[in-house]
Amino acid sequence: MTVAERSRIDWVPIIDAFSVALGSDRVVRRKEEILVYECDGLTSYRQRPAVVVLPKTTEQVAAVVKICDRFQVPFVARGAGTGLSGGALPIADSVLIVTATMNQILSVDLDNQRVVVQPGVINNWVTQAVSGAGFYYAPDPSSQSVCSVGGNVAENSGGVHCLKYGVTTNHVLGLKVVLPTGDIVTLGGEVAETPGYDLCGLFVGSEGTLGIATEITLRILKAPQSIQVLLADFTSVEAAGAAVSAITSAGIIPAGMEMMDNFSLNAVEDVVATNCYPRDAAAILLIEIDGLPAEVTATGDRIADLCRQNGARTITIATEAEERLRLWKGRKAAFAAMGKLSPDYYVQDGVIPRTQLPYVLKEIEALGDKHGYRVANVFHAGDGNLHPLILYDNAIPGQLEQVEDLGGDILKLCVRVGGSISGEHGIGADKRCYMPDMFSPTDLETMGWVRQALDPDLLANPTKLLPSPRTCGEAAHSIAAVTLPNVEHF
Amino acid sequence: MANVAETLGEVVERDRILPPASLHLPDHLTPAAVVYPATEAELSAIMACAWENSWRVIPCGSGSKLSWGGVGSGVDLIVSTARLDQVIDHAVGDMTLTAQAGAKLADLAPRLAQHNQFLAVDPAYPEQATLGGIVATADTGSLRQRYGGLRDLLIGISFVRFDGAIAKAGGRVVKNVAGYDLMKLLTGSYGSLGIISQLTFRLYPGQDASKTVVVTGAVGEMEALLSALRLSPLTPAALDILSPALANRLGYEGFALIARFQSIAPGVDEQVESLLAMVGPALSAQVLQGAEDEQVWAEVGAALFPMFEEQNEAIVAKVGLPPAKAVTWLDQLPSGSLARIHGGSGIGTVRLAAATADMVKELRRGCTINQGYFTLLEAPLSLKKSVDVWGYSGNALGVMKAIKAQFDPHNCLSPGRFVGGL
Repeated sequence: MTVAERSRIDWVPIIDAFSVALGSDRVVRRKEEILVYECDGLTSYRQRPAVVVLPKTTEQVAAVVKICDRFQVPFVARGAGTGLSGGALPIADSVLIVTATMNQILSVDLDNQRVVVQPGVINNWVTQAVSGAGFYYAPDPSSQSVCSVGGNVAENSGGVHCLKYGVTTNHVLGLKVVLPTGDIVTLGGEVAETPGYDLCGLFVGSEGTLGIATEITLRILKAPQSIQVLLADFTSVEAAGAAVSAITSAGIIPAGMEMMDNFSLNAVEDVVATNCYPRDAAAILLIEIDGLPAEVTATGDRIADLCRQNGARTITIATEAEERLRLWKGRKAAFAAMGKLSPDYYVQDGVIPRTQLPYVLKEIEALGDKHGYRVANVFHAGDGNLHPLILYDNAIPGQLEQVEDLGGDILKLCVRVGGSISGEHGIGADKRCYMPDMFSPTDLETMGWVRQALDPDLLANPTKLLPSPRTCGEAAHSIAAVTLPNVEHF
Repeated sequence: MANVAETLGEVVERDRILPPASLHLPDHLTPAAVVYPATEAELSAIMACAWENSWRVIPCGSGSKLSWGGVGSGVDLIVSTARLDQVIDHAVGDMTLTAQAGAKLADLAPRLAQHNQFLAVDPAYPEQATLGGIVATADTGSLRQRYGGLRDLLIGISFVRFDGAIAKAGGRVVKNVAGYDLMKLLTGSYGSLGIISQLTFRLYPGQDASKTVVVTGAVGEMEALLSALRLSPLTPAALDILSPALANRLGYEGFALIARFQSIAPGVDEQVESLLAMVGPALSAQVLQGAEDEQVWAEVGAALFPMFEEQNEAIVAKVGLPPAKAVTWLDQLPSGSLARIHGGSGIGTVRLAAATADMVKELRRGCTINQGYFTLLEAPLSLKKSVDVWGYSGNALGVMKAIKAQFDPHNCLSPGRFVGGL
């Protein structure tokens, strides 16, 4: 079924208006060209938008949004499309506004440690632009070589180094935003804590439901003088979890602290063959510390001691850049390695209090057994942000639904121990029906006020983030089927 | 008083309701009563009652900052969270603290210190300040350098809405992107969107060693040093630039840069040595440790926010400047101004013995031409009535109004106290 057959909207005048505003070469209508935009990183859901537009400037974004407002058609913003929660998944009969070609670094101010970028700028371009002067941009999602800053802002992305330095919201000073009405406003500014409500803080992580950021002022940091990576391997997951707790309790905040279980580390050894992860280890910890040389050396020694006290078998320490990268390589390739082990994998993103790690990991294993699926655990252990990877085969009917049920059970487990259903991927289309597990109807109503204030006609990414009674009924068995009735399943 | 107190008496125990004299109120606030709920449920009942009766309500904790912000359009009831002072959960291993809004920072600090942890804020009036008041005014100080502002520390919130319902956002884990970030919306909202009842913060580990370097000298050399410091890999926990008058209060001559290094002992020594090596011959430097290291920071805070006002003509303002503009701006202040700017963020505080509306406008212009801001906290009533207190120069007031209309449809929460008369 094509879009045109299903649509109840007359798209001709709308597309004409877009063509006038942007030029017809920036309005994508052909089915074959639209195909690439029908999903984001959450590839199990697909939906073709009615039309895709590629604005180049803030004014063009505003013009497009004003047209959407005039014709009362919903729009979805998309950066690089690497998000994992379906935040940029199009909705039927919607306009997809792609900011990928807004890819200019607008200004670099080293003295004040700020960089202003357009939303389509790729995350690690920021660091590349300032690394010569000894600076870097801290938030580093695993997809940082392909994900856009605009998407990072929408999802409040994290990454390996967010343990010490914070997530995206801690590094965004100001935003130029096109509101759902098409008005252009500046939120925040050049200096933190501008008078008035912290709208910049409210906007970051709002998943495209409050408007579209078209200019982003980022804080950059001075690169540390010294960096050390420790690899510790353990004969039980519980021991690795206990080491994480011991390090945290000792008052040490590493730049990053990552854990991989036996299943994951063998998968990466199979695929990228780093030969540095012992295949018989139940779990490994990768711990990065940074700072001035004396601090790094002393802290590294303390961490090594704490790991040994908690049963670490061997500890490898890397200080040279090449050796550090080698230790990190397997972790960075972990998701991709799963792709080689299994036709498909489903990644979840829950958070737990750090002290609950050993218990939760056992429970996840039990849940996996119950549902009959293998779950690989690769995660940000330092801040309790889990990424269970569930391996399955989408070609087998019913597996996706079963795997989503298992993912849902894992999220409920996270909430039960006092955690959250998302640490860095966002709620998007994937998890909004789990919001009531974490928040009361009053909480959700109050969050709805924010949306009502900025987007009273519910045109900006309307089916994301907050649940609606219509789509997330109590009887929801398969979230996919209930949440996204018009979406094809792949 | 009679009417409000009587009506309230039907909702909460009589001993919760006290006359206005129970707080040290600024002259422009003349409520009928002050109510001190002892539970979140009582707070909820009070707000539902206030809503039914269309009372204008100003929330506070200890009341030490009630004079901050706009003058507003009157008040019927002040709701103090001072008795909501319980620690709900200090999750030691997870390094988080959940406590009621009325808990005092000064009471919590020793409790956290037992586990070598602390809440990384250093607000005005540190002995009185409650968690709720600190968050509602986004008030922290020099620790912003390493630990960020309240927005960076707050990970969960519960608040009582205009209608008495209790809403929450965030959670108790340090990383969480589920739902809108109402923590940030409420931070610095001056009680205009709801009454904060409970907060969860991330905590930080105490540090083994601490030293402060004080560098003094003339404006040009100071600017050069600060610029070099920003480009260096040093990681001070606090880094402030002080105006000559403020430096003088501490016993120093000229502009002063005070940098505090906290880490393991070898780290502190390494950083102190590195900074001293950057100090040129035209500047003089001194290293403070032990009690002196602690004291100098407390003295700066006390000079800017004295517990007892010596004169009530003084003005105190919160300023923001791009960090590279800070020293020049300090140099242009009237002599005698007590001022401190945080080196990393460019946020600061200035205190003048007295000021006219024209002076305020001129000082503000010096900030806004550099994309900064100048917000009056304390000022005589007549001055607050004759100038814009907040100095918001952006174009998003419409969005703020729309949010206020949702969260406080009858405009009863701290009416007129916030930006743009909200």
